[in-house]
Amino acid sequence: MVESVTVIFETQEGKRIPVQAVIGASLMQAAIQHNVPGIEAECGGSCICATCHVYVDADRLAGLGGPEEMEAEMLDSAAAERRVNSRLSCQITVDAALEGAVIQVPETQF
Amino acid sequence: MSGPAIIIGASHGGVQAAASLRQQGWEEEIVLLSAEDALPYHRPPLSKAFLSGEKAAEDILLRGADFYAGQGIKLETDLRVDGVDPVARRIRMGARSLSYGALILATGARARRPALDGLDWQGVHLLRDIADARQLKAALADAGRVVIIGGGFIGLEVAATAIKAGKSVTVLEMQDRILARAFPAALSHWLAKQHRAAGVDMRLNCAVDRLEGEAGRLRAVRLADGTRLDADLVLIGIGSEAANELAWDAGLSCVAGGIRVDEACRSSTPDIFALGDCASQFNRFAGAVTRIESVQNAADQARIVANVLTGKAPEEPGANWFWTDQYALKIQMAGLVLADCPVTVRGEPDSGTFSLLQMQRGRIVAAFSVNRPADHMTARRLIAAGTRLDPILAADGLVPLAKAVLVAEKAA
Repeated sequence: MVESVTVIFETQEGKRIPVQAVIGASLMQAAIQHNVPGIEAECGGSCICATCHVYVDADRLAGLGGPEEMEAEMLDSAAAERRVNSRLSCQITVDAALEGAVIQVPETQF
Repeated sequence: MSGPAIIIGASHGGVQAAASLRQQGWEEEIVLLSAEDALPYHRPPLSKAFLSGEKAAEDILLRGADFYAGQGIKLETDLRVDGVDPVARRIRMGARSLSYGALILATGARARRPALDGLDWQGVHLLRDIADARQLKAALADAGRVVIIGGGFIGLEVAATAIKAGKSVTVLEMQDRILARAFPAALSHWLAKQHRAAGVDMRLNCAVDRLEGEAGRLRAVRLADGTRLDADLVLIGIGSEAANELAWDAGLSCVAGGIRVDEACRSSTPDIFALGDCASQFNRFAGAVTRIESVQNAADQARIVANVLTGKAPEEPGANWFWTDQYALKIQMAGLVLADCPVTVRGEPDSGTFSLLQMQRGRIVAAFSVNRPADHMTARRLIAAGTRLDPILAADGLVPLAKAVLVAEKAA
């Protein structure tokens, strides 16, 4: 039995898409697996393209640890505004603490 | 348009087309056909993390196994399409035939084969799909001496992977520099130096005369100058060719080595679209009809097709971008290289963190970044907009690239 948690992706239009995210996999993989609109993840999780940018639930942020330097640089220049809770979802490993987290999808990835 | 969308080819472009069609509200059936006996997967890791064993097949899937059914996408693998009848709007597969409302050709490309004898010998490899990669991976494990023919992305990525695995690696490049079609000369020279420092025997201006073997087994590579290089394994990476036979046989117009498509990715037959490595399209940055081989191009064109088929306007394409990982180097490319164009250097190449910019009439047209992702990301935007840069600021690696935009441009 693969362990998973439910995370909720919220699109710019306010549509909420609950998905089962596998613990240990990346948050990007959960989004891609469920075809969440607005998460493109073109490079497949290599931290190259910044098309899996998300805004993480503020109260879950601390538990994730900060972005590493490469990711931070990519976020600085992501297509949508970088906010304090910006992350690349390919660099977030899903764990039990993400149960119920709301993850906002930015208005654009390009 | 009524009837199913049939997508032939289930790599980056084909899968993106299917996913985007659903996201855009396509209500008809979607059939996604793959000639390969595998779930669709990311191709770039085949020469890197998959080859090294760092990632397994299940780690590089484009989408999980239950994605397709979950999205109402009928994926059929290990299935070869024999022909397209554009008048009857049907495709043929052996005794079966399927009718389509829209046909999307995402057939990709295949590795170019050189005119050498011995390509079928044990020990001689090409790398295009995961079956090739599996064979190469198994052979690499037992090989001591690896010779790579072609200093392109595939060859160099495999060289880096093989060096890390402790192999003796020789790269043979016909031209006077590696990646001559993709990089400015300065970056070719810099990267060759990194490979040499890592232990690669890099030979430029080097033509292969023949492969030598016995009993169906590769033994050596004979160079045009008579040199014999003993080899347990040869990888040939000399580029690719569009897989456009189906289109050609169906009478679709082909140009620049690919299926000719307009800005909506529509072929010369209105219900048939083509995208990705097999398609040739006018590229506003190149100012010409080109066939571009990249994940980004395939995915962008897939989104265009999905938009068009669901009644929306095709989006204006952004700048092309590419990447390659070799050793600890993350090399990101934005825009299309301009031959013989001087480069502006940002940062210090000796530090391993720098970018090379190409500018034409003051406007940035291409950027090549090594471990400088912010430059790459900014450059993509600036290139798409054809932005003019202050050459002094652009050359200052301590100034963010966005700050090098000419003030007059910012006002506009």
